[in-house]
Amino acid sequence: MAAYQEVCVCGFEEFNQAVEQHEGKRIFALFVGSKDAEGNSWCPLCTQAEPVIREGLKRASQECVFIYCQVGDKPYWRDPNNDFRKKLNVTSVPTLLKYGTPKKLVDAECRQANLVEMLFCED
Amino acid sequence: MPTSSPPGRRARVLSPGTSRPSSEAREELRRRLLELIEGNRVMIFSKSYCPHSARVKELFSSLGVDYNILELDQVDDGANVQEMLSEITNQKTVPNIFVNKVHMGGCDRTFQAHQSGLLQKILQEESAYEYDLIVIGGGSGGLSCAKEAAILGRKVMVLDFVVPSPRGTSWGLGGTCVNVGCIPKKLMHQAALLGQALRDSRKFGWEYSQQVKHNWETMTEAIQNHIGSLNWGYRLSLRERGVTYVNSYGEFVEHHTVKATNRKGQETYYTSANFVIATGERPRYLGIPGDKEFCITSDDLFSLPYCPGKTLVVGASYVALECAGFLAGLGLDVTVMVRSILLRGFDQEVAEKVGSYMQQHGVKFLRKFVPVMVQQLEKGSPGKLKVTAKSTEGPETIEGVYNTVLLAIGRDSCTRNIGLEKIGVRINEKNGKIPVNDVEQTNVPYVYAVGDVLEGKPELTPVAIQAGKLLARRLHGASSEKCDYFSIPTTVFTPLEYGCCGLSEEKATELYMKENLEVYHTLFWPLEWTVAGRDNNTCYAKIICNKLDQDRVIGFHVLGPNAGEITQGFAAAMKCGLTKQLLDETIGIHPTCGEPCLRAGPQPSPPRDGLEGPQEASSAKQVQDQGPGEICQKLSI
Repeated sequence: MAAYQEVCVCGFEEFNQAVEQHEGKRIFALFVGSKDAEGNSWCPLCTQAEPVIREGLKRASQECVFIYCQVGDKPYWRDPNNDFRKKLNVTSVPTLLKYGTPKKLVDAECRQANLVEMLFCED
Repeated sequence: MPTSSPPGRRARVLSPGTSRPSSEAREELRRRLLELIEGNRVMIFSKSYCPHSARVKELFSSLGVDYNILELDQVDDGANVQEMLSEITNQKTVPNIFVNKVHMGGCDRTFQAHQSGLLQKILQEESAYEYDLIVIGGGSGGLSCAKEAAILGRKVMVLDFVVPSPRGTSWGLGGTCVNVGCIPKKLMHQAALLGQALRDSRKFGWEYSQQVKHNWETMTEAIQNHIGSLNWGYRLSLRERGVTYVNSYGEFVEHHTVKATNRKGQETYYTSANFVIATGERPRYLGIPGDKEFCITSDDLFSLPYCPGKTLVVGASYVALECAGFLAGLGLDVTVMVRSILLRGFDQEVAEKVGSYMQQHGVKFLRKFVPVMVQQLEKGSPGKLKVTAKSTEGPETIEGVYNTVLLAIGRDSCTRNIGLEKIGVRINEKNGKIPVNDVEQTNVPYVYAVGDVLEGKPELTPVAIQAGKLLARRLHGASSEKCDYFSIPTTVFTPLEYGCCGLSEEKATELYMKENLEVYHTLFWPLEWTVAGRDNNTCYAKIICNKLDQDRVIGFHVLGPNAGEITQGFAAAMKCGLTKQLLDETIGIHPTCGEPCLRAGPQPSPPRDGLEGPQEASSAKQVQDQGPGEICQKLSI
């Protein structure tokens, strides 16, 4: 089990800044639908996936940075031209990815512990 | 009354001379039968002429499971045995089958048990193998087989490991096709086609002042990213189905056991009931000085971190011509060195046209030469290499200087270092390929093989995928369907694409004799090429028909843009028994390149003023019979 540093961001700009700040490090990112004042996301799958992902993160084999990124509200997400879709190729939430690699889990894959474990473990 | 019989032919369960067993004799018989049942993993009480018995024997054979048989018609007291079996099992009929001492029943119940997976469970109880199936090789064939077996509920492992090329290149899960074959090849071919399209575009009115040039690194990075996503996708799909994937080099150490060695040299052993060898092939080297040190192969080309520059491609396989083709299309100076013919095994008339198109478009050919030495003149990325080559016809020697030498002279099966000799799996010593029967079984019953390692089968991804899937289904009771290797379509993605299905003209002539064949041809000029000012006498279609079988189409060949797309449909038609008449009755889609394939006639003629190659004689009648559509076609093209 390795140490990880969590960074919480909201929106595309903040996400990019966080990536720049941690350049050169191993970065995992989780994109979720933004939470309201009560702390509930508009994306039910995101809510289900989060505990599975946090559990998997604890078991990551090497040091890393974990960026928890709230993408925005539902209407923003639905816009086919939003920055996440166009510039980052993140087209659904939840998405869990290892930044700078093709390793990615989307939707229901994010709540499958065995797949999450595979993503967090080094080859 | 005991009947006389040739010595050694008939077995006796009871001592001769007994026809009506006493109670002692009956006890003796019962004991002997139980001995047979308990002493054999699979015991079949059968009759040699019984078709149900034959089916059951075939089932166990195809599963690679040994069985012992007692043929009751070949034993003197067969009737007594049958009666005793009926007492033991309450079953009066044969075949009467026991697996690991469990009474399975007759033929029907045994097949049902096979389909439900029960048979496998019972078979394994004694042997306790860790896995039902271990697949060695995670390429097109191996993955397809593993996934299907997992879907059918089996415990499956895939061992995949890429031994780095002499240049140090390696890659992820997915095999040759995904990493260093079909996928990157087609993408680079597309990159080259787009270059051509840009040149054509000005004729269609596009105006831009920028000089168009190509960036190798941008292209390879994008292609490698896509391949990376495919590697990841395969790992996901194996995990989702519960297939254990181990990135280790697998080799047999003894029956039913493999040793898996990872990158760090750690060894682990695994056992399995069945194995599938799907280890594929790797490029062959010439065996001349400097080949491994300085030359690259297709293993290295698609991830080369620098532009190859002026390139010599050695070979005349589809790999050689496709690579030479797209490299030239990207603007590089390319020479192809050919020992004898182009595209061995393909229709030679079309193969020569493929080569001649490439030549007309800037690829240089050195025919009838073989390299004998490669020397490094300068290090670098790329460096400079000097190649010395000898003529195959005389004493002539030539030299050339290139940035890159790409060897594409053939591929060797990866069967020599996986321990096959330890378990007695026979391979063809000459080429390393594995001969199998029609259910992909090797000479060792629990070992099967799929993909490029197979002797005598087409080395194509879709073939391996299909064979792998059907094999998994047969092994696990879901079907008895065998892979059909007949009339498999393929396409060579040279600058002018060549699609084909069925026989070459040479092969057809060999099998059916020239007089029994009718060969229809046509040249055609794709509409898109007209305005672009491209060749009007190059694209070609050839259809070979068997006169003895209603002019059945037995060979389809098309040379032109999108040949692969065209050929796919014709391949399906050929599977349905396409004949010349059906071709004639099929109305064309206009304007396309598929359309002239339908209208191929008895001999080719050069097109006049942009008309497609007309077919006077026998198809003149068809032209008249068709309505305005056909006439339109002749005018607008």
